[in-house]
Amino acid sequence: MKNSILIALALIAMTFTSCIGDDFLEDFVGQSLRITSAIDTLEINTDYQFEKMYLNDIGQEETADVFWSSSNTDVIEINQNGLATALAKGTATISVEFDTGEAILKDSTQVVVGETTVVAENRIEGRVETTTFYVLEGDFVYREEGEKVLLEFGEDYVASNRLPGLYVYLSNNKNSVSDAFEIGKVTTFQGAHSYEIEGIGFKDYQYIVYFCKPFNVKVGDGEFNF
Amino acid sequence: MKNISIVILIIIFSTSVFAGGPWPQQKGKGYFKLSEWWIVFDQHYTDQGLIDPNVTTGIFNTSLYAEYGITNRLTAQFNGALVSRNYMNNLRSNTTKEIIVAGEAINRLGDIDVSLKYGLTKPGSKIPVALTLTLGLPTGTPSAGTLNNLQTGDGEFNQILQIDAGKGFSIGKSSAYVSGYAGINNRTNQFSEEFRYGGEIGLGLAKNKLWLAAKLQAVESFKNGATAETVSSTSIFANNSEFTSLGLEANLYVTKKLGLSVGAAGAFRGEIIAAAPSYSVGVFVDLSR
Repeated sequence: MKNSILIALALIAMTFTSCIGDDFLEDFVGQSLRITSAIDTLEINTDYQFEKMYLNDIGQEETADVFWSSSNTDVIEINQNGLATALAKGTATISVEFDTGEAILKDSTQVVVGETTVVAENRIEGRVETTTFYVLEGDFVYREEGEKVLLEFGEDYVASNRLPGLYVYLSNNKNSVSDAFEIGKVTTFQGAHSYEIEGIGFKDYQYIVYFCKPFNVKVGDGEFNF
Repeated sequence: MKNISIVILIIIFSTSVFAGGPWPQQKGKGYFKLSEWWIVFDQHYTDQGLIDPNVTTGIFNTSLYAEYGITNRLTAQFNGALVSRNYMNNLRSNTTKEIIVAGEAINRLGDIDVSLKYGLTKPGSKIPVALTLTLGLPTGTPSAGTLNNLQTGDGEFNQILQIDAGKGFSIGKSSAYVSGYAGINNRTNQFSEEFRYGGEIGLGLAKNKLWLAAKLQAVESFKNGATAETVSSTSIFANNSEFTSLGLEANLYVTKKLGLSVGAAGAFRGEIIAAAPSYSVGVFVDLSR
């Protein structure tokens, strides 16, 4: 009888002694630097504030002591805060660089100086696709409209409605939603639909990530090729 | 609609392989088993029946299974997880080693099934047939943790009507039995109804001190319940799970009535369910001998 009691106690103890361990996510994406503001044409004798974003090895934004430059300082002059001044009609390439100590990251954009300022059309087409065995695919248009960013899916969009807790995010790491912007829970599983997103810049994120919260796993993704 | 996780079906089916079947207990006799059942899985069957990864999840149940003969043809059954632990691992960045999603755990009462089994054939019949009505009581916790993805129960009241048939026979000097069952699980809260069926074969060795059993279990969802598309609540769990699993169990009588039990089972086909083996160890008292 004593042995039976000991066995019973051992069984109950098993319940409480199973510990929370660690799973590791392969989330290395490499460092990157990009200009997040863009114009096609800058009005002569006006200023424009360029913005940049430096992302670390896992796609998280960090501050960086960058170097701004203009390929033609007779046309556009830019200081080390990214403030550009249009001096004469013509074309110049604005560049931003960051020396990480291991590599030099660089991004650039071409700007025309003309009579009026023309903001570049922020519109990208792409496609989301599954990275698992759950159905998820569809073409999208990602565009800026006033203060909002719109993510629009076409008629060919389809996603499994049997996956529990499917959420959609914008992220700078296609393998992780750490520091990602949560758009919301997926409620449309077939056909055209759209998301209106406020409070972010058009180039703040590089990926659409579909993520299953209960399983803590990515389901699919799409990329913005800026 | 309340919640159901991918693992609950396996919990429900972690009942004793050794007891049960179409054989009601004799009046005043009984079978009682205290067991530990557990599953730890880092992958699951998708809705396509294929295997995808998930964060490592564990469930440990300390369960009591009991049968007691009210009459020679009517047996009362109890099967409940007295203590259930559900946990999920930390999800860490392999680059920085920092926690991305913190692991969590809960320790709660699990779901309880109470049943009445009635022998449709007289005791001693060559091919006994029994009908069982099971009430699945939602005594567990269907949703807990920061992401509400921890649970010790499915959160719904269900009713299972099941018919069992079997036959005992001899193989040389050894006793053996074979049995099968089929049943319907009527579920509430927009969960899909289910068709359940299975079979079991057992062999007694060493003068019936050691019993080995193999059991096939299957659940086919009618897929008539809610999906993520038709539910507007914040529920994050799946419906329409199904599987086919194979289990093996050994029961050793260390005294005339007291014994030890070990078992393992795993789904080899499934949809929205854990893709990993489950294990059990237990101690039982068989008052029918």
